[in-house]
Amino acid sequence: MNDPLTLHIRLNGEPRVFAADPDEKLLELLRRHGLKGAKFGCREGVCGACTVLLDGRAVYACLLPACLADGHEVVTIEGVGDQEHPHPFQQALVEAGAVQCGFCIPGMVLSAKALLDENPQPEDEEIREKMDGNLCRCTGYEKIWTALKAVIAAGGGGGEDAS
Amino acid sequence: MKIKAVRRPETPEQARDWARELGEQALYVAGGTGLHFMTDPAEMVAIPLDRIGLRGVECSGRHYRIGALTPLADVMNYRAERWAFHETGRRTATHQIRNISTVGGNICRVFPWCDLPVALLALEATMVLLGDDGYAVPADDYFASQPARRLANGDLLLAVDVPVLEAHMGFGYRKEVICHSGFSLMTVAARLRLEGDRIRDARVAAGAALPFPARLKQVEALLADQPATPDTFARAATEGVREVAWKGREDWSDAYAAHAAAIAVRDALDRALTFARRRDW
Ligand SMILES: Cc1cc2nc3c(=O)[nH]c(=O)nc-3n(C[C@H](O)[C@H](O)[C@H](O)COP(=O)(O)OP(=O)(O)OC[C@H]3O[C@@H](n4cnc5c(N)ncnc54)[C@H](O)[C@@H]3O)c2cc1C
Ligand code: FES
Ligand code: FES
Repeated sequence: MNDPLTLHIRLNGEPRVFAADPDEKLLELLRRHGLKGAKFGCREGVCGACTVLLDGRAVYACLLPACLADGHEVVTIEGVGDQEHPHPFQQALVEAGAVQCGFCIPGMVLSAKALLDENPQPEDEEIREKMDGNLCRCTGYEKIWTALKAVIAAGGGGGEDAS
Repeated sequence: MKIKAVRRPETPEQARDWARELGEQALYVAGGTGLHFMTDPAEMVAIPLDRIGLRGVECSGRHYRIGALTPLADVMNYRAERWAFHETGRRTATHQIRNISTVGGNICRVFPWCDLPVALLALEATMVLLGDDGYAVPADDYFASQPARRLANGDLLLAVDVPVLEAHMGFGYRKEVICHSGFSLMTVAARLRLEGDRIRDARVAAGAALPFPARLKQVEALLADQPATPDTFARAATEGVREVAWKGREDWSDAYAAHAAAIAVRDALDRALTFARRRDW
């Protein structure tokens, strides 16, 4: 290991200090610290299972050098709702029966949160554009789409979270 | 490649000075998404650029200046009169990549599938760089070879100037992929300048199915001073791409790439013509 870097990251609303290998990706750092909601999927910027928010924007943590998170705000799925207080999209996914294996869902939720935080009433074209980096191998997307449209119809999210 | 240390500059000048001091070990990191494709085993010192500014799009009247650190998503979301460049950003990779990949990262180390070089060649853009001082390089010169070699001395891309399209000009971009977020297999960009119903001149460039992005000079010659009609476009698209050495990528044969090139050129020209004739701005 090279000399570790010291990274100051506001993680899920809390200021945190991490020691990181200079070559480390943000996904590795997060999972090493027990935040396992972001998944190792393809590890090459295709599937979206590793999606987190960097300063409110959805990014692939598997590609992002951890050093680029220094001084920035990161939100993972652990910072977006919980069993008692789910994000409206999490609730809608449950109600629509839109989760099968669940592997893609943390990434889907974070992309949807970024979308709804920026525009609670997006048109279909904007939804497609901003959800195009999350693949689901189980559901065929239909119920995920239904869930997202239900949240939008109900006013567009803005659920409880730590960010 | 492996990052063995990180030095984080606060200004473009500091970044350049450190890159020069570190020599071959220096690696500017913008969005960092390109590192995934840089597989040589060299150990580098990363110089992250996220604190040096250079982000956003501004119009100076004659051109749009796009900061080198502007994420592709911001290029795609930007709207203004006679701005056509967002058409290119829209078709690049996925939202998560567009959110973090920068304009500079896309054109400082050109991978075969990179979209922006093709569009910038057609739009006659100018790259603004920092060497000893600031200097400017026109797209034809900048993309004549791999820019990473030109920049190996630590020069830093500051911005890209894209000329504002005049009223009688149009721009069209066409990209072929296997699936929505797939790598480009064929990209064509076209800029037309009309004079009444005739084409005064055209700039047409292609990438992905070529070893390196390049202008299609034969297509341009077949368009210049011709009527802007489907026949002209069809002839330019078929005859103009014939002598080009197309290279199929992924599962495409070279012959199929040549076939796809003719279609993509024609589509890009159609779009450019529609754009040029729009009267809603
Ligand atoms: C799965 C996937 C699919 C993709 N598909 C496409 C696609 O279809 N079309 C497309 O166009 N792109 C695509 N990309 C993006 C493209 O491959 C590059 O990853 C991206 O353009 C790099 O941008 P970046 O800001 O992350 O640059 P970085 O990775 O940070 O840098 C790339 C190179 O540019 C240098 N550099 C960066 N900024 C500067 C500067 N200001 N001055 C000097 N040198 C600089 C760096 O040193 C490095 O050598 C895809 C990426 C992935 C991961
Ligand atoms: S694991 Fe990051 S995109 Fe697949
Ligand atoms: S629910 Fe299994 S991948 Fe989406």
